[in-house]
Amino acid sequence: MHLRPRFVLVLALLVTLALLVLAAPPAAQAQRRKILNVAAKEPDTLDPHSSTLGQSQAIARFMFRGLTRFAIKDGKVTTTEVEPDLAESWTLSPDGTIWTFKLRKGVQFHKNMGEMTAEDVKFSFERQINKTPGTRYGVNLDVIKSIEVVNPHTVQIALKSFDAIFLLRMVGYQQGYIVSKKAAEKPDQFKWNPVGTGPFYFERNAPREKITLKAFDKFHGGRPQIDEVHWFDVPEDATKLIGLEKGTFDVLYPEAVTADFADQVKKMGAIIDRRGPGGQERFYINMTAKPFDDIRVRRAFMHAIDRKAIKETMYPGDLARVATSCLPTGYFGHVPMTFPEYSPEKAKKLLAEAGHPNGFTIKNYFISKSFFYPKVLTLAQEQLKKVGIIVELQVVEHATFHENIRKNLDPFVLYGGTRITDADPWLSLFFDSREIPDPATGNKGSNFAHYRAIDDLLAAGRLERDQKKRAAIYAEAQKRIERDLVCLPISDVPGQWARNPKRVSTPFDPDYGEYSLHYSYNYPELLKIVN
Amino acid sequence: MLTYVLRRLLIAVPMLLGAMSIVFFAMRILPGDPCVAMMGDQATTEALADCTRNLGLNRPLALQYVDYLWRSVRLDFGNSLRQGYPVSEYIGRMFPHTFILVMASAIVAALVGIPIGIISALKRRNPLIDYPLRIIALLGLSMPVFWLGILLLIVFSLHLDLFPLIGGGDLDGVLGMIRSGEVFSHPADFLAGVGDVLHHLTLPALALGFTLAATVSRLSRSAMLEIISQDYIRTARAKGQGERAVVYKHALRNMMVPLLTIIGIFVAIALTGTVLTETVFTRPGLGKMLVDAIGARDYPLAQGAITVFTMIIILVNLVVDMLYAVVDPRVAYR
Repeated sequence: MHLRPRFVLVLALLVTLALLVLAAPPAAQAQRRKILNVAAKEPDTLDPHSSTLGQSQAIARFMFRGLTRFAIKDGKVTTTEVEPDLAESWTLSPDGTIWTFKLRKGVQFHKNMGEMTAEDVKFSFERQINKTPGTRYGVNLDVIKSIEVVNPHTVQIALKSFDAIFLLRMVGYQQGYIVSKKAAEKPDQFKWNPVGTGPFYFERNAPREKITLKAFDKFHGGRPQIDEVHWFDVPEDATKLIGLEKGTFDVLYPEAVTADFADQVKKMGAIIDRRGPGGQERFYINMTAKPFDDIRVRRAFMHAIDRKAIKETMYPGDLARVATSCLPTGYFGHVPMTFPEYSPEKAKKLLAEAGHPNGFTIKNYFISKSFFYPKVLTLAQEQLKKVGIIVELQVVEHATFHENIRKNLDPFVLYGGTRITDADPWLSLFFDSREIPDPATGNKGSNFAHYRAIDDLLAAGRLERDQKKRAAIYAEAQKRIERDLVCLPISDVPGQWARNPKRVSTPFDPDYGEYSLHYSYNYPELLKIVN
Repeated sequence: MLTYVLRRLLIAVPMLLGAMSIVFFAMRILPGDPCVAMMGDQATTEALADCTRNLGLNRPLALQYVDYLWRSVRLDFGNSLRQGYPVSEYIGRMFPHTFILVMASAIVAALVGIPIGIISALKRRNPLIDYPLRIIALLGLSMPVFWLGILLLIVFSLHLDLFPLIGGGDLDGVLGMIRSGEVFSHPADFLAGVGDVLHHLTLPALALGFTLAATVSRLSRSAMLEIISQDYIRTARAKGQGERAVVYKHALRNMMVPLLTIIGIFVAIALTGTVLTETVFTRPGLGKMLVDAIGARDYPLAQGAITVFTMIIILVNLVVDMLYAVVDPRVAYR
């Protein structure tokens, strides 16, 4: 019993120590360092030519650059015009097939990997053209016939034929990034030890936790103001919001921006950076699948869908815009299209005329359980029900959905996505007959409408050098799509990141001041820690 | 005993093989293609074909299966299809995070669940004690871990700012110090690292532990109820022993056997519970990794994780069976 006071003393000490430890702040970070804390999902790779996920492409822009970049005009970033980046100038041969790029001198790779030269440019494109395992964007460089190193600072790229969007292909985005040849020759190591010329370099990866980037002192655009970027793997939006309010995170890359999410962001004094053109949510109607092979049924379908109601339910107010064309705003060649107005009465009448007075039932309609898919489809399902089109949903994993729509199991397909911001790649992917999915041949393309009516225009557009004439070709293509009623766009949803403006500033207007692609921030080096 | 252990280990081999085969074929029967999952709406026909070839998924299934088993024997689960990491290395990094979470939540569940179960059983005729305890158990059962987790985060992390919101602390650093012996040369750093890990562990362990405590308390309550209705308890009371002696000397000791069974079950439940806990608290770990792997159809990663889960459950149950002999002299293994 005489030990009891000592035991109590030891216990008290232990409890005090435990409390001190538990209540202590996490490992102290030097207060002077300017750290940008980003909450997003973990990238699947840091090799910019292999990343297809949004978060992978977003982080790639922090570390890599291309020969060209999206131009800043009148304080805004565009997505249809380019300006020099790693290349300081370029010329095009009279026949339109040879591009000669003069590279900026003195551009350094991260981690003392030396100066960027024409060899690195050649390597960066050839590794994709030669389909080095894991690379994904070689298809976007199929136009290239050969690449020749003229001297360390001049590279000549010969094309198979004229390509109107070649300079867009050279933008620092997906296939356009220039990587260090020395580092990327071992692709397995490069995945998690990337070396580029961007404003931040890769420092460390703690899987499923965070990736640390550091400011690159020798960045050709000048050292960024931010010292470090901590990219946290945070899958849940709820956790991201708590972190933004608490100050754990400065910038969030949400899975989905809902009205509730936007309200919470607003309430805590944060803002949402909206970046066009973003993704477009739209329906493709398989014009070869019964009963949609009858244009009256397709028209009835479009009359039955209240696009504005869906958009407002999904993205109230300025969270998105009602889409105006099957080629989204912000893409070269976009013109507004006209679609059948919402009118259930007209829809019923057309269905009756087409021999479906009581409507019809679509059994086993597959829809992804992820992203916007189930919500948009449920809303559409209710609207279609009103005119007698019953859609029996089967909600499946996203991968299964992708598999099934390429087996043509859904007579109409809800789809989203972002591409190089020009009519050619976009329309080619969704309306070129070569992209019609066909399980018999194994073709897993994405022409879900099984459309064949603009192949000639797409071919002509690829050869045309006059931008005005190109614009006219793509306007005609949109007119035909409008005529044949195979595509119904619903919402143009901008890329949206939440930002704490008391901590981080950007020179661009939060509302579409910066057009961008998957990465949202075209110029992460211009982000500044303000507090 | 040794013969018994060897026999159990031998039986574990076909069990493990069965589990591995089920997961191998289940992953492939499951609709969805890893390449489509990886490339999403960027997938073109050619790109998909390239991807399938590069990942070796175009090989005959039987060949893939044999290859998988042969590699697994050597504890080589291949590389993650999506991220390219060697799966064994990846699991090795994630396992300690899950292990300490399961252990910490076990402690919470045991400290909360077992006393509640025992007291609730012993005081079952006193509604003032039994009912509140059963309500607590019911609360734990009905509160999903993700809900309780978010609640704890909002209160203790956001508003009171006592605990971090995300992460698992520098567990890699702590383990590195142990391996390199720096634990002795830099004890202060080591303790700070341990403190950081505990700091990150507290809320997830409480959330998972509390929801598991409900199950533990119900199991302990029924175990205790069964024991106190036994003849030897009645005999002890008839002999005039005090209630305390009856409980501590007779009931609790005999409760060790069902308690061990509870621990066996607990590990299985806790491992599945880590999936949600790791997601809500944004902790690295096997559970979250497994869910992501299944969603991405990352076959090697999912197979590796499930194999490890199966091995853990087999091992724990083996240890539990062996401990029966330790706590209950009537049990003899041959």
